[in-house]
Amino acid sequence: MSAQFSCLVVEDSPMMRQLLVLALSRVKDLRVTEADDGVDGLRKLAAGKFDIILTDINMPIMDGLKLVKRVRTDPAHKDVPIIVITTEGSNEDRNRALQLGANAYITKPIQAPQVIAKVKELLKIDA
Amino acid sequence: MSEKKARGSLLSDRPGPTVGTELKEKRDAFLQTFFRRGAELTDELVGENRRLQEQLTKYEEENASLKTQLASDRAIRDLLTKIDELEREKSRLLSTVHQQEELTSRVTNRFAEIESELESFANLYVASFQLHATLEARAVVKNVKELLVQLVGARSAAIYFTDEQGRRLTPVISEGVDITTLPTIATHGSMPDGVAAVIERTFLTGVPHVAEGDITSPPAACIPLQMGERVVGAIVIYALLGHKTRFVTVDRELFKLLGAHAGGVLVAANIWATQSGRLPSAESIREMCA
Repeated sequence: MSAQFSCLVVEDSPMMRQLLVLALSRVKDLRVTEADDGVDGLRKLAAGKFDIILTDINMPIMDGLKLVKRVRTDPAHKDVPIIVITTEGSNEDRNRALQLGANAYITKPIQAPQVIAKVKELLKIDA
Repeated sequence: MSEKKARGSLLSDRPGPTVGTELKEKRDAFLQTFFRRGAELTDELVGENRRLQEQLTKYEEENASLKTQLASDRAIRDLLTKIDELEREKSRLLSTVHQQEELTSRVTNRFAEIESELESFANLYVASFQLHATLEARAVVKNVKELLVQLVGARSAAIYFTDEQGRRLTPVISEGVDITTLPTIATHGSMPDGVAAVIERTFLTGVPHVAEGDITSPPAACIPLQMGERVVGAIVIYALLGHKTRFVTVDRELFKLLGAHAGGVLVAANIWATQSGRLPSAESIREMCA
């Protein structure tokens, strides 16, 4: 049976990406696609349909802020919920991401229950 | 003829007019008395009858009232019995609710424990996976740094490596602190304790949080890096991120993992770099395993 929801994780750190994927694997009916940076994220976004995006802010080539901006100006994906992953103390980046249209943020180090709760909240999954 | 005779006899016995008057008066008086007494008796009887009627009515009313009361008492008894039953049911239900609450509490606690253990296993799995995911030096260093920052919660840390004789530790990698400010540490030949002892001491002493870059304060943790029995270096964590107020169980496991693997990974990455990423020949592997 195919997954009901689809999630794009944009994170340059393999370790963080693996942690996020592991956490998200506990959300039922959620298929996760990984992207290394903003450009890779946009490429994968263009190739598929996603219900939610999780993106790091500090990434090479294209950072998370630019990605949020691009997604929000893209008519095909402008309504897709975005969660940005910020580091402790980067309030400016976090606020900027929210101004650009991100729906929520998670602060590193990530905690699986927090990630799962935020994703479920934005996807309106009850259980 | 005999009737005539009898009548004649009566008439002949009749008293005279005076006696007749007296008798008549006596008769009248008697009759009056008789009728008066009769009337009085009748009045008494009527009164008694009325009284008895009233009493009967009263008794009937009392009877009805008592019947009602009796019915009411029965209803109250039934209600009291019902209340007792309901009280027992309530106690039973309360007891069940308490049991369920305790069960829920136990399940919730167990769920939290399992959630925490799952988180720990995930962190350890990822740390182990990423430590050995590559032999490319930059990637190895990046992974070790990320592991320290993201999983352990280190704000500033450094990795020291020992010289060939094991007499001094030199800082080789740092995160959140300028490596040029870090001292070389003399070890006087060897580490005083084993890795496990140093990690345990780190936990037992509970070194307090120190400010970023403040390397004059005691470090938050010191993890010897071991290759087999040989200590080849140490990871020193100077300060922790704001959210990290203390080390937790999974940190101990992460320290053990780092202590057992990070040194070897760094050495392997270094050797791999000196080989310019050339794979060893099958022959040399076979010779090594022989």
